[in-house]
Amino acid sequence: MALVVGVDIGNSTTEACVAEIGENEPRYLASALAPTSGVKGTADNVPGVVKVVQEALSAAGRAQDELSAVLVNEATPVISGLAMETITETIITESTMIGHNPDTPGGAGLGVGTTVAFGALGDCEPGAKVICVVGTGVDFEDAAAGINAAAERGVEVTGAVVHADDATLIANRLRTPIPVVDEVTLVERVPLGMRAAVEVAEPGRTIRTLSNSYGIATLFELDPEQTRMIAPVARALVGNRSAVVVRTPAGDIADRRIPAGTLTLIGEHSRLSVGMDAGAEEIMATLRRVRPLEDATGEAGTHVGGMLATVRDTMAELAGSGDVRIQDVLAVDTFVPQKVTGALAGEFALESAVALAAMVRTSRGPMEALAAQLAAALDVEVRVGGVEADMAVLGALTTPGTDRPVAILDLGGGSTDAALATSDGVVRSVHLAGAGDLVTKLIDSELGLDDRELAEDIKKFPLAKAESFFHVRMEDGTARFFEKPLPTETFARVVVLGDAGMRPVPTRHSLDKIRQVRRSAKHKVFVVNAVRALEQVAPGGNLRQIGFVVVLGGSALDFEIPDLIAEAVADAGIVCGTGNVRGVEGPRNAVATGLVEALRCP
Amino acid sequence: MPVTDHRAGRARQAPPTVIARCAGTSGLREVRAGMEEEGVPLRVEDGAGTALELAFAAARASSLGVGIGLDATTVCVHHAKRPQDSPVLTAALVHARLCGHNAARLVVGLPLKALSQKEEMWPDN
Repeated sequence: MALVVGVDIGNSTTEACVAEIGENEPRYLASALAPTSGVKGTADNVPGVVKVVQEALSAAGRAQDELSAVLVNEATPVISGLAMETITETIITESTMIGHNPDTPGGAGLGVGTTVAFGALGDCEPGAKVICVVGTGVDFEDAAAGINAAAERGVEVTGAVVHADDATLIANRLRTPIPVVDEVTLVERVPLGMRAAVEVAEPGRTIRTLSNSYGIATLFELDPEQTRMIAPVARALVGNRSAVVVRTPAGDIADRRIPAGTLTLIGEHSRLSVGMDAGAEEIMATLRRVRPLEDATGEAGTHVGGMLATVRDTMAELAGSGDVRIQDVLAVDTFVPQKVTGALAGEFALESAVALAAMVRTSRGPMEALAAQLAAALDVEVRVGGVEADMAVLGALTTPGTDRPVAILDLGGGSTDAALATSDGVVRSVHLAGAGDLVTKLIDSELGLDDRELAEDIKKFPLAKAESFFHVRMEDGTARFFEKPLPTETFARVVVLGDAGMRPVPTRHSLDKIRQVRRSAKHKVFVVNAVRALEQVAPGGNLRQIGFVVVLGGSALDFEIPDLIAEAVADAGIVCGTGNVRGVEGPRNAVATGLVEALRCP
Repeated sequence: MPVTDHRAGRARQAPPTVIARCAGTSGLREVRAGMEEEGVPLRVEDGAGTALELAFAAARASSLGVGIGLDATTVCVHHAKRPQDSPVLTAALVHARLCGHNAARLVVGLPLKALSQKEEMWPDN
């Protein structure tokens, strides 16, 4: 009997299993996992491997000197990069609009007039139609009294724009009700002496006139050319409960497409360039035309160009050679909420963007150095052996109910890998860019969180809404009661129920919206990549030739990704499910187990 | 003649309101303004004690379960179903307006406003 440890150094985790090898089947004693130290396949991995080996041994109750060998997979460094290129931008020159949804605008209706500062209301001629602009530091009672006094003199105050959260208070104190828009943070930038319109919709409704180009054209008597200019304003205001449009002579709102540069995909036989602004579909179609991909470059000075160069440089440094090529890219259409340049109330506009993931992989890793250092650290024989894909297949086949031909899908953090083992033992594998990290990035940017940790939690855990201090409603509609009152910052908010407790999502997005963003991000990355990967390993690109698909890797532990993939490939008559290595490990430990299995069937 | 106590019935018939109990009058105007802006009715009563005690008693008395207590220095917002020593919000009198807003938001079920008004994302309809 010999005691061995199989170690799989992955991109983000290092896994190990302890087994006794004899004449018969290997007997598995324990397993362990720890975060990978350093970039996979480099000597930096040694501390992580030592840690995981010791943990596995202590879990098995065996001493380190009983160990006869450590088996390590042929770990080749994989580096992936992510970049996003925003391709549209909304700019307001000469501030022309305020469109936002304060919780409580005041009054209702539509008012048109000339903008006048609150302090100058007394100087207005009777009969003049004005929009009153109330700046900082004016009390609501004074504001209401001032507007009432002006109205008494015959000045027609038709609407008001207010800095503080005072709209209802002011509207309640006016003799004649007018629409009031509040919480306009940059109220001092509202141009004075210009024609303007203020519209507030009844609760539960949205504005009708200012969100309609012809509505604005009617109010401001615009000619067709000017109406064309104002159309983006109307479009930006659609769906708001309140809005202000100020007509400035040179006023303009531009809906600009940013030149996002081009991506050049170099295949074995051809070389094609595609503009990033063409969108993900076009980029992926171009990729299919040039496949197999030999390299990719981005235009210098763009995010994508920079990302591709960084990925290549990092890998060149690791591999110690300058000849590093991008092996795969995945483009995903997304959108980014961005502050409208020149807006007055902190408005956001949804801008289109394309996210790109890229990966490089070298065939030669500094494995010898790793093995030597590891042998010294553990004082034991270290055997490097086995192509990773072959080992993963061997490990996956320990899942009860599987048989060849079997395909594995390894859903990791940085890359999605697939391998197909045919009945005669041939293994074909493919490594694709885009996995868990890209999903996190998409969630982070589409929700405008700017908080990767929170985005990671949203990816991993179901959502709920705190409906009272004592219960939350889960996203599937079930309720959950708590004995201790929930923290007040979670009240009425969408929360993530993670391992570390409840975490409020500090946005105004509804639960449905966040759920939809989460699921679509997973779909755009994992389902697309699963199909893409299986097509590349399947004989003749025909998914029907694959009998079983075993989903492995950290992201296979996700509560919905395996289901999304199973749904997508169900049409091809494939048995698809999450792996259960050795019937106990779930989707983990496949390669480590495969290394031990390989000893038995050389 | 039998004496019937109608007080409980009268209290039931009273329109639902948040109740504010004040030891003084400072801060009350701002609390009222916050409540009015959110559109939730408020009834004001006199009382004696600390802001926390007043708030909890007010919350217990309010048919909406939300109470506000004001003393010389502090405003406290409380919910009837929370433990007495764990109020929703306690703040200095200068933040009375915010306390009014948040007391109303407890009733209508909107997320509370934070003391330091951190900027929030607008939903994209």
